[in-house]
Amino acid sequence: MTAEIQPARRGVFRREDVAALAVFLLLAAIPLATSGYVVYILPQYMLLGVLAMSLALLWGHGGIVSFGQAAFFAIGAYAMGLVMKHLTGMAINSAYVGILVGTVGGGVTALLIGYFLFSAGVRAAYFVVATLALSIVVEQTVKSFSDITGGWNGLYVDRMTVTLGSWLELSLFDDAPIYYVVLAVVVPVYVIATALMRGRFGKIVVGIRENEDRMTALGFNVPMYKTLVFGLSGLLAGVAGSFYATHAQFAHPVNAGVLFSTQVVIWVAIGGRHSLLGSFVGAIVVASLSNYLSSIEEIQNYWPLVMGLIFIAVIVLFRGGLAGLVEKLAGKGAHGRAAGH
Amino acid sequence: MEILVSVLADTVLITLVLAFAAFGLAIIYGLTGVINMGHGAMLTLGAYFTWWLLDQGVPFVPTVLLSALAVGLVGLAFEHLLIRHFYGRPFDTLLLTWAFFLVTTEVIKIVFGTDFRNVADPIGGDPVNLGIYQVPTYKTVVALLALAVVAGTALVFFKTTLGVRVRAMTQNREMAGLLGLNVAAMYKLVFGFGAAMAGLAGGVIAPMFAVQPYMGDMFLVRSFFVVTIGGIGQLLAGTLFGSFAIGGLETVLALFSDQVIAQIAVFFIAVIVLRFRPQGVFSGR
Repeated sequence: MTAEIQPARRGVFRREDVAALAVFLLLAAIPLATSGYVVYILPQYMLLGVLAMSLALLWGHGGIVSFGQAAFFAIGAYAMGLVMKHLTGMAINSAYVGILVGTVGGGVTALLIGYFLFSAGVRAAYFVVATLALSIVVEQTVKSFSDITGGWNGLYVDRMTVTLGSWLELSLFDDAPIYYVVLAVVVPVYVIATALMRGRFGKIVVGIRENEDRMTALGFNVPMYKTLVFGLSGLLAGVAGSFYATHAQFAHPVNAGVLFSTQVVIWVAIGGRHSLLGSFVGAIVVASLSNYLSSIEEIQNYWPLVMGLIFIAVIVLFRGGLAGLVEKLAGKGAHGRAAGH
Repeated sequence: MEILVSVLADTVLITLVLAFAAFGLAIIYGLTGVINMGHGAMLTLGAYFTWWLLDQGVPFVPTVLLSALAVGLVGLAFEHLLIRHFYGRPFDTLLLTWAFFLVTTEVIKIVFGTDFRNVADPIGGDPVNLGIYQVPTYKTVVALLALAVVAGTALVFFKTTLGVRVRAMTQNREMAGLLGLNVAAMYKLVFGFGAAMAGLAGGVIAPMFAVQPYMGDMFLVRSFFVVTIGGIGQLLAGTLFGSFAIGGLETVLALFSDQVIAQIAVFFIAVIVLRFRPQGVFSGR
């Protein structure tokens, strides 16, 4: 999967770009072809896809596994809910403030934690444990401060309204408008994240994954780059969380917890940790499948078990996940090299 | 005075119970380098085996021993099928042991159900009243057992040929292999023993907690902090010191605030300690 690391030939779209275009066109077409539950639920899965991307750029590119992505997602979600609830009667649209606070909140929290841990050269295993603890801390916090967060019942969040000065006011209460607003957020997030990871920044991060000592010797500030990529990851998780809250109309401790955090790890492993698009699609596919199969009574108890077994199969047999498999089938496997992470 | 005595005694008891719960993790992590994210699930499995065997009418002591044996065998099978191919690749073993947690938890839910199960206190009776402190009988027995297990393992580790072999394997795997040590078998033995210890701890603590599919989760993270704060590979002193730091802190903080906030604070402090002493407080290296 070193394909992403190689410089793009100018003027030539890569296969992944074509695939991304196809995926987003398909997503854009779905509400035209159908309506009802699919159109209602898909934006939530797209946002889970953004959450998966937030881990993929950290894990696939940076070689850093976080078991705490749910914490940043929850920070985004609760920030959105609390700002929309309490910031009323202002000239500015409170939903915009909520998104800003949620996004910046996720990013800054990750930056602070990243700086704190990486600047001391904390090793990978400790980092996993620390992020695991972060998830538990955030989950326990939102559970126990129930006067503010609603505790176990979660926090009700309004559907936002898109406003632009005085000449546009679009309620997102119906399924189709919010679908397209979410899509209009997801696409630029993907494009910017992809561009960043293909650019100088991404190459340095991949370099650190491949050989940290060499990058240090070459004069790169390794802890700073690790901190930045973790911050970026928290930022993406924060965006996803704040839009998720207004779409699902709640923020809930479940979305802060360890189990949810590890769901993200599974989506990314199955989708392909080295591919942002693969992780995005992986999250949508796995979340849809989970939702569908959990509704069938005969198999609902066995589905999580099957997921666990698929997860093992991916780690042992298909390290590139679905994206790696597709790439191999497309004949690009010869370039691929297991990254060792 | 009474408060002081009871806080001290509680701290000692909690420290030892926590050391028991963390011991299996300390062994596997410290000696094979595998970050066993499945440790919590192994505890839970031990607790469920104990509940089930007691339900079948087996007396408590053989029940707990059988539970430890069963979890040890599960650990051996897991090591043989998957883990042994991934030594030296910590990230993959981390993910695989996490998958072990997911699969085991689901199997537990399917086989035993999701209801909370209660295991009766096998000693029963009221706490022994010493005037200034009510001694909780069963907890005290568990604490003494924890001491015995840790001390016994240390004895094997430092005083027997087997211990020398395990230490040789940990210090230099290749050299130990070249000198004729069956490294693969040693790893298997250590992994199985660590799993059995987790199962034993799960069975022994079952009467003190509600047995449910996620009971091991909280112990997983706390055990990690115990092991990392104590220092990886510092089986005896490290585990006890780490447990004292985590358990004692929790007890003292719980005096001034509620349980949840105490736990959050402990996690914060643990992360801060790891930041400044990533090699563990007790590790000289």
